[in-house]
Amino acid sequence: MDDEFYLRYYVGHKGKFGHEFVEFEFQPNGKLRYANNSNYKNDSMIRKEVTVTKAVMDELKRIVEDSEVTREDDNQWPEPDRVGRQELEIKLNGEHISFTCSKIGSLLDVQDSKDPEGLRIFYYLVQDLKCLVLSLIALHFKIKPIPV
Amino acid sequence: MEADEASEASRPVSEPPPRRGWKLKGRGHRGTRSEESEVSRGPFESVEEEQSGPLKSVEGWIVFVTNVHEEAQEDDILDKFGEFGQVKNIHVNLDRRTGFVKGYALIEYAERSEAEAAIDEMRGQDLFGQPVAVDWAFRKSPSFVFFA
Repeated sequence: MDDEFYLRYYVGHKGKFGHEFVEFEFQPNGKLRYANNSNYKNDSMIRKEVTVTKAVMDELKRIVEDSEVTREDDNQWPEPDRVGRQELEIKLNGEHISFTCSKIGSLLDVQDSKDPEGLRIFYYLVQDLKCLVLSLIALHFKIKPIPV
Repeated sequence: MEADEASEASRPVSEPPPRRGWKLKGRGHRGTRSEESEVSRGPFESVEEEQSGPLKSVEGWIVFVTNVHEEAQEDDILDKFGEFGQVKNIHVNLDRRTGFVKGYALIEYAERSEAEAAIDEMRGQDLFGQPVAVDWAFRKSPSFVFFA
């Protein structure tokens, strides 16, 4: 089960431009799937798939482990709403977390929440994960992902 | 056995039974996960033929460096890795909380031979007093074996 490290993140909303989102997933075998949809100015859906090496998976795992996010719980976090939703699903060392949250605009939202410590960990981890994935996708496919 | 059945019956209907061996946590397990999860659908575009070994990216070969010292500068890394060929692209991402280097770098070379040299020569070399690990970022997905 130690080798079953899995991670999925989703952020999106439904609004004037339809369902706009970014989602990525790392499967235990290293398969990275990335989907990005923005209907603004008629952009179309991007779906990309590539296999990363064990070196990348190990670094991803290190980032998640260092964050200690699996010690947190989402029960005090702001619930997904009309403005948007985030989902973070991780299988790591026998634990399977599946956290949901509304969109977090800034650290102010974190500070004003009922669980600022936990939410801060989530907030920064998500940014670090996005940063890694966007670099991988941008360098491999030579595309500029669309921000949501 | 009876105690198990009792707790089974008292669980809310919307909550799926826990999968064996995984400790579950988070609202996502209680049916609040987005129905629009895109990564579980296909098809996804990819840049590959199914074999083993490193995978070429659209414009070159990507090398993944880890255990990068948090105070290392992009220039320091460029200096070292520029010895093996022209670095076409480099991403040294920062920890979003601390502002220091997160610990990894992505480097693009045009030629496979340059990337190979960088991996062979730089693996285990000290950078800011820390031995770096160097490997490919992407690999071909394992080919399927068919038995006649």
